[in-house]
Amino acid sequence: MDLLEPTRQAFALLLSGDRALWQSIWLSLWVSVAAIALVAAPSIALGFLLAKKRFPGQRAAVVLVQALLSFPTVVIGLVIYLLLSRRGPFGSFELLFTPWAIMLGYMMIAFPILVVFTISAVQGADPRVYETARCLGAGRIAASLTTLWEVRFGILAAVVNGFGRAVSEVGCAIMVGGNIAGLTRNIPTAIALETTKGDFAQGIALGFVLMLVALGVNVLLALLQGEGGLK
Amino acid sequence: MSVPLLRLHGVRKVYGPRLLFAIGNLAIEAGGAYVLTGPNGSGKTTLMRMLAGLDGDADGSLEFRGIPASFGAFPDRLRRAIVYVHQHPYLFHTSLRHNIEYGLRRRRVPAEERARRVAEALVWAGLSERRTTPPAKLSGGEKQRAALARARALEPELMLLDEPTSNLDSEGRAQTLALLEQLRSERRTVIVACHDQEIIDLPGFARLRLNEGRITLQSG
Repeated sequence: MDLLEPTRQAFALLLSGDRALWQSIWLSLWVSVAAIALVAAPSIALGFLLAKKRFPGQRAAVVLVQALLSFPTVVIGLVIYLLLSRRGPFGSFELLFTPWAIMLGYMMIAFPILVVFTISAVQGADPRVYETARCLGAGRIAASLTTLWEVRFGILAAVVNGFGRAVSEVGCAIMVGGNIAGLTRNIPTAIALETTKGDFAQGIALGFVLMLVALGVNVLLALLQGEGGLK
Repeated sequence: MSVPLLRLHGVRKVYGPRLLFAIGNLAIEAGGAYVLTGPNGSGKTTLMRMLAGLDGDADGSLEFRGIPASFGAFPDRLRRAIVYVHQHPYLFHTSLRHNIEYGLRRRRVPAEERARRVAEALVWAGLSERRTTPPAKLSGGEKQRAALARARALEPELMLLDEPTSNLDSEGRAQTLALLEQLRSERRTVIVACHDQEIIDLPGFARLRLNEGRITLQSG
């Protein structure tokens, strides 16, 4: 297969400002960013509690969250579909086949990543951080926030990984979004569709954007980490 | 008779079947400087951590200015009256100035007063030139002095310093010893757990010796 011609067409499409193409890109980005913004705080808080607190069932809870990491995204899509479908418990909200349904799916997909990365970061923190904060007069919440700040590079890595997983997810987005052009078609679902139609130029263009996003986010993480991130 | 700053009565600390120490009665007077000595494993650090409210698993009673408190469940007022400095102090990953400011912010000290106390603490520790330096770039001696300055800036009623000269080179030790002497001369109440004979021999420090589960006090 000749790859040069579709690649040339892909860049021409991108540079021409093709409306459908840029709509998919914009949808992917805002839905992924919004999903991470909404799910990050509760997930990080839960990760911190699971890492620091001892309570009956704590270990089982950690194992459960770890198991969610390998949960197939189409099953997550199926669950959300059943919940949001017209006859489902939340059907009256009419969220199915809207960007909000995709956002909900992304939140569920990113949730275990954020929790597990946070557990790992907090467990790796020096135990003197929390004690020092307490000894200097911080309350429990302030000392917990100080601990999170001290492991901020690990937390940032959690957020970046959660975003990366969400922005590149396809199965759940197709199930609950329906891949509707101009409404719920995002980068990965568009790639899947256009490739099956034999329109490789669209697929290559969108794949290129997806890789740029992944690269950009990781470069941003490295810049934020600075020297501290290399320790 | 004046009420001591801190009084321990009938304190017993056990590890499994082993009695680490039993303290019948111990009074720490306000403005006093104490060194806490004893062999390795005698429980010096454990006792310091109990006094800091970090270790609550012990029997017995503690009174601070005559007010009873439970080990490990200090009220905010008591937690802020006592500052413990670890053997290897932890400095947050920010500038030295922000490290010293940390406890002052928690106490809601106004910005102007905060700036004054930070500047004064940096001068006291001889670290004014290092105010914006991240801790990773400080020497061991500078870290120890920074931790002492951070604790002192809070003007606590009791400072607990755990082995402040361990793992320091001779210059770092000499500078830390000078700061300990200053704390004593400023009439700060301070307990220093140590093995360092130079600290033990510092004039004006009363000696607490923890050995074979018993504590004895010898005036300085």
